[in-house]
Formats: sequence, structure tokens, C-alpha cells
Amino acid sequence: MRNEKDFHLSDPTWCRGCGIYGLFTSLKRTAATLELDPEKSVVVTGIGCHGRLNNHFKSYGFHALHGRVLPVASGVKLANPSLSVVGISGDGDAYSIGLGHLIHALRRNINVTYLVVDNRLFALTQGQTSPTSQMGYVSPSTPYGTKERPLDGLRLALASGGTFIAREFSGHPKQLASLIGKGMVHSGFALIEVLSPCLTHNKVVTAQWFKDNIYRVDEDPHFDPRNRSQAWEKLQERDGIPVGLIYIEQRPSYEELVLPNVKQPLVGNDLSFGIERFKKIMEEFE
Amino acid sequence: MKKNGTLITDISVMIAGRAGDGVLFTGNILAKILKRQGWWISTYRDFPSNIRGESTNYTIRAGLNKIHGQADEVDVFMAFDCGAILEHTDKMAEGGILLCDGLGLGKAAPARVKGRTYHMFPLRKLAREHYQSELYKNMIALGALSYILDLDFRVMEGLISEAFLKKKGKKVVEDNIRAVQLGYSEAKKAVEPEELHPLVRRKDTGRLLISGNEAIALGALAAGCRYFAAYPICPATEIWQWLAVRFPEYNGLAVQAEDELAALNMALGASFAGARAMTSTSGPGASLMMEAFSLAGMAEIPVVVAHVQRAGPSTGMPTKTEQGDLGQWIYGAHGDFPRIVISPGTLEECFEFSTKAFNLAEKYQCPVILLTEQDYGQNLRTVKSFSLSGVKVDRGKLISQGELGETKDYRRYRLVEDGISPRSLPGMKNGLHMVESNEHDEYGYRDEDPDNRIRMMQKRMRKLENFSSDLFAPKKWGDKESRIGIIGFGSTFGPIHEAMAQLAEMGVKAKYLQMRTLWPFPKKKVEEFFDSCQKVFVVENNFSGQLARLIQSEVQTPVQIGNILKYSSQAFRPLEISTAIQRAL
Repeated sequence: MRNEKDFHLSDPTWCRGCGIYGLFTSLKRTAATLELDPEKSVVVTGIGCHGRLNNHFKSYGFHALHGRVLPVASGVKLANPSLSVVGISGDGDAYSIGLGHLIHALRRNINVTYLVVDNRLFALTQGQTSPTSQMGYVSPSTPYGTKERPLDGLRLALASGGTFIAREFSGHPKQLASLIGKGMVHSGFALIEVLSPCLTHNKVVTAQWFKDNIYRVDEDPHFDPRNRSQAWEKLQERDGIPVGLIYIEQRPSYEELVLPNVKQPLVGNDLSFGIERFKKIMEEFE
Repeated sequence: MKKNGTLITDISVMIAGRAGDGVLFTGNILAKILKRQGWWISTYRDFPSNIRGESTNYTIRAGLNKIHGQADEVDVFMAFDCGAILEHTDKMAEGGILLCDGLGLGKAAPARVKGRTYHMFPLRKLAREHYQSELYKNMIALGALSYILDLDFRVMEGLISEAFLKKKGKKVVEDNIRAVQLGYSEAKKAVEPEELHPLVRRKDTGRLLISGNEAIALGALAAGCRYFAAYPICPATEIWQWLAVRFPEYNGLAVQAEDELAALNMALGASFAGARAMTSTSGPGASLMMEAFSLAGMAEIPVVVAHVQRAGPSTGMPTKTEQGDLGQWIYGAHGDFPRIVISPGTLEECFEFSTKAFNLAEKYQCPVILLTEQDYGQNLRTVKSFSLSGVKVDRGKLISQGELGETKDYRRYRLVEDGISPRSLPGMKNGLHMVESNEHDEYGYRDEDPDNRIRMMQKRMRKLENFSSDLFAPKKWGDKESRIGIIGFGSTFGPIHEAMAQLAEMGVKAKYLQMRTLWPFPKKKVEEFFDSCQKVFVVENNFSGQLARLIQSEVQTPVQIGNILKYSSQAFRPLEISTAIQRAL
């Protein structure tokens, strides 16, 4: 049996009330519930306040460059599929500088759980507008209000072939832990957007605002996350923000399709090269 | 076999046409026939970045002695289109012959001007008349070349079989062989005996006909590279494509990344997990990789980047050769971090450097750049069969589970004397660590303390403080006593050697320092070379003299440097170097 403490390396130092605390707790809880081994787990983070997480979470860690979480996580997973790989990004990391990687990770369906901490601004660089900031948002980078429409990561994910698309509020760690657990068990790419208030910089989209605006998709007894049309409809709704598991589809993961032997990680290869094999290759050029 | 009483020891055949004419296919068959007749080969492709329509030419040079690059002149021209070739006839050797299909030669053809002969040779018309398809024009051209060069018909038959039997069947093989015979007999009618260039037949002693990209890919496979991520780009893609076909058999994986940002980051992720990982690229792709290049330096992750240079800047000329990206890897990317930049001067070195690049990357836990050029990457050359005997997989300070034991204080970035800290892999017990793109402490956790920063910066930088013996030292060639020096790197190797021979004929003795590791800079060896010279010429395929500038920043010398630069997007011809040196003396 494992417990949350097995994954607690040190106490984090985010601002008081930061949504990332909720994610930190949920991730530890999930890891304990799934009985993960810290030494067989890799957490890859990007640049932003969330990026401090693997300074405090006990596992192998990789604090990547801004926006490059998914290529690194993909490389790790493909080289050694026996590792549990979690990627964590902020809305800037995932939806701005790293957006290209997200779309391709979705269509590949690589077996990585990707948590996008959405606080609707760039917090670490002092509160600039992000791709998820609402139209008109005033910040140091858009002093007259942004004139760009916000990006909806989950609709994009559904259009890009995502097989596990979910959203949760960081203030609901129990539900979030359960959702991350489902995402990690899912064979394929799991995108979980974590609505996360930034008390320091975001005076509009606060914890209370999130609470007032979210609604749970599973409260609708007719909603079936395996139904793509229903998922699309939920994501189209303008009144409120749907949270919970929005879409799930079973499709072979990328590594099952591309790795010569998914059970034998290529990191374990014997790299000696037989002379006979080498000679055979030489013959192609003779 | 002699032309006008002299044994031919060196010949260049240019095949030209429009993109889509099958120039490459025809040239490659010719190259292989000559290789199997015991000749050393060096091909030169001058193709546009275009699939159909634009003019293109491919030169097959064959020598009885080893050759590395293109010659000064062309002896035999075979053109599917006169327009495609007339612009090159100023390179036609005395006694040369041109066979051309199409308009542009004028009514006087065949004509002999200053010992050079020009023939109209209706390749397409013959193909249409005999085969109702212009596709056979290539085989008719090969037939005509067979007559002019006195090629071994059995070798030709064998190669046609290899090319078509499995894919297209016996009938196609027979048709193609007949088309060769047709070309042969038509050429026999048109060409005078004194215009022939008959080539001797020797024994093919197990040489390979291979491109630099293939040699690099083969080296990577032999060295245990099992993860490759890349984005398509000319002229580097063949490295990846060659490996992609063969990887499954070796439990390896080649991934097509969405861009070069992803490609290098994926390779770093795989390397962190324990795979020998690589990517390949060229100019614009390399620019996108600069960010992750810096990460590899900071996080101390081994990785190999094969960079096949094309003509820049910007999109530049994607299928043409240049050496304009040297500075990019030596000075490029943000911050100071250790890096290794090596550049092979021969195809043998393409293989050798590729096998050793992975050992260097793991030994020093840093990025290794294998820098070559389109000329080496895509052109074919003959080499002696490669050997596995020098290939040893050395994974450096990669620690095993046994070595980790019960340690409770593993530090990924432990401050050690040589700066190279033992590396554990995810999945290992008691080897837990963080890989940080931020400045970090010994455990890998972010640390912005100025004293820690100094310690960590010094730790990383001392890994490659000195030019150690396992890096490729510069190689000296030519007359030791000479006071005239030439320095170059990469594919200028062949033209420099030939230029030295030409200079010797002009009475000028020269010596040549072949730079093989560009970074860390082999300061001592280069200084010694300068000390032994009165004048040094630095030969390079770029505008600004990037190698010369590097030398000037690293070496204190009163000896004057002369720049010999070519940035036309074409490789050097030997005379361009020898005459430039002769004029400057």
C-alpha cells in the first residue's frame, strides 16, 4: 500500500490559495491510489508556476523548456513504455508556445497523461494575457484589453482526435484525483484541463468565479462521454463551463502501433552488432 | 584501353535534363557499373529543389585512383535536353563529346569545335519509335554511354535485372536490355572512333558505393542508436529514412516529429530515458533546434545531431551545398555550455565519426553535432568496405542498478573533478533525480544561489576544457617542409588534395591541415601548423570565412591568413583552389 506521503518530497511554495496546490494534492492521491512506484514514474513539466511541481513531487522529473513538455514526455514514453509518464503544462505552455505539439500528441494518441493548469494568464512573468484570457482582458501585455478570442483547448482536442478529454476545477481535489486516475489508466493520450485560480494576478477569474460558472457533465443522466456528438454539444454550450470526463474513446495507443515490441523497451536493447548482420548491410552497397 | 594512345585514368560524365527526366536513376546505374568495373567513384548532383521541370544535372566521375570530389572538367555530356546542358559546356574537356536530344545545338550538328564534338542524339524519338514510350530514353542513353565508354555489358545486364526484375518482371528487364542495345548501336553509327573514351576494366575489390547520409545512418545503427526523431528537410532526410526502414529489426524507433523543436526535444526525452538518440536536420531546422540544443547542454543529456548543410540563409537553396552553418553550432543557442562539433572529411569518416559521436555524447553528457554538407550527404562515393572492428559502444558514466546499490544520496549532477557525473535512468531504484532546464543543484533541483551557479557552470564547462585525445585531432597532409599551408574542413577535403597536386605541378609545395573537430577547438595543433607556415589559406564554402574567423579568435599568430571562399552553392573544383593560391603567392 502506498500513501500520499510516498510522493511528497517537500512542501511547495506557490502563493497562498494557488490552484496548483489542489493539483499537487490530487496527483499525490492518484499516484498512491494507483500504487505507482516513484522510481518508475516520470513527471515532465513546462515553464510557469506549475513547473515547480516536480521540485516537490517525488518521482523522476524533467523540467522542460517552455512549451516542450509533450515532445520530451513522448520521447521518454517511447523509449521506455514501462514508465508512467505525466506531463504538466500551464495554459501558456500548452495552448500558446506549445500548441503545435499538443495537436500532434492528440492525433498520435501516445500514452501520456497531460494536465493543463489553466489560470487564464501568464502568472510567472507577472500576469500577461494568455490564449485562454477572455476577450477584452486588461493586463500588462494588453493594456487596452485583448482583442483576441480565447482558445478552447478541449474543443480543439476533440477535433484533433483526442481519446480522453476532461476538465476539473482545482478546488475539487477529490474529483480531480479520480479524473487523473482515469486518465492514467486510459490507454492513450489523456488531456485534463485543470481550472486553477491565480489569486495574485487574476482578479476577474477567481476561485469563486470558477465555482459559479462550472457545471458537472455527469449530472445529466443522459450524457454519455463515449458519444462524440454529445461531447461536442457540451463543449459548444455557452452557459457555464462543463467539467468532468467529457469524451473517451478506445483506440490503440501510438506505442502499441509503432514499437516493434511494446513489452521490450528499446532502452533495454543489447547494442552489440553481429558481424554477419553488418556484412549483409554492406552487400546492399556493393 | 586508351584514348589517342593515353590510358584514361580519370573521367567525368555529366548527365543532364529537366527534373523528372530520370537523370539521377541513369547516373546511379552508370556509377554502379563503373564501380563494378573497379573504378573509384564520386558523383555530383546539381538539382533544383523542384520535382519536375527545372534543369538538372548529375556528374559521375570515375578514377583509377581514389577521388573524393568533382573534377575541373567534364569529358562526356549526355543530355535529355540541350538547354539543360549548354550552360555547362564551358567545362568541357578538350577531346570531349556531347550527345544531346532536342533543340539548341543548331543545324550544324554533329560539329567539331576546338577538338570537342557535338552530336544531336534523338533519345526520345528512338524511345517512341521502338517502345512507344519516352521512358526508355534513359536506357538508350545508357546504351550510347556504353559504346562511348566501352562498358561491360554483363555488368549492365546484371544491374538492370537488380533494378527491375523483382518490381516489374522479366519482360521489363528484357525491354530495358534491348533499349540499351539500341542506344549502343545508334551511338556506334553516330560517333567516330577518335571520339570514344574507352575505360579499362579492373576487379571490383569489395568496395561500397554509398552516400554520406547512408554512411552516417549506418554508423548510427552500428553504434547502437535506437531512437530517431526528425522532421523532413533537404538534404538530410535520407539518414532518417534509411534508419526508419531498418529499425524494427533492431527494436529501434524512428518518429516523424511535427517540427524540429519537437524532434530534438523528443530525442532528449528518449536519451534521458536511456536510449541512444539522434536527430538529423539542415539550416532552418537547426535554427529551430537551438533552444533544445541549449537544454541538452544545461541538463547534460547526450544526443547526436547530424546536420547536413545546405545553402542558406533562410530557406536558401535546399538542395545545394554550403558550409555556412559552422558558426551556428559553435556560437549558437543561448548561454555557455559544452558542445562537440565534428566534421568528417571523407565518407569513411562519415561512418567513423557517426559511430563515435554516440560515445562522445555519452562520455561527456553533452550534445554532439556531426556537421557535413549536401555534397557529402547526397552524392555517392566509393569507399573500402566499412569495418565493425573499431566500433565499440561505450556508454560512459551511465551507472547500473548494481552500482547504485542501496545508495540514499544519489546526485545526478554531483560535483566531480572531471565535471561528468554518473547518470542513472528513470526506472532505476535509488537513482531518483530531476533533470532541470533551470540552473540546479547537485540533485537537479532548481537553485539560483550565485555560489551554486558558479560551481555548476564550472562543472559543466570543465567537461571539455581541454582538447582531449578521444576527439578527432586535425590531420596533416602534404609536404611537411612546405611553408604554405591550407586549412579546411568537411567536403573540401577532395578538392584541396587535388589542388595540392596541381600546385606541385606548378612548382608550389603545400601542406594541408584537415580540421576534424571544430569544437572544442584544437588550439595547440592549429598553432603548431601556423608556426610552421609563412602563409595559410583557409578554404571554405561560405561567404564570411567562418572557419578563418574561428581560427583568428582562437589562435594568436602573425602569419597572414588568405581566405579562399566559394558561396555559389556549388562545391569547389580543384583548379579554383590551386589558381587562387598561385595568384596570391
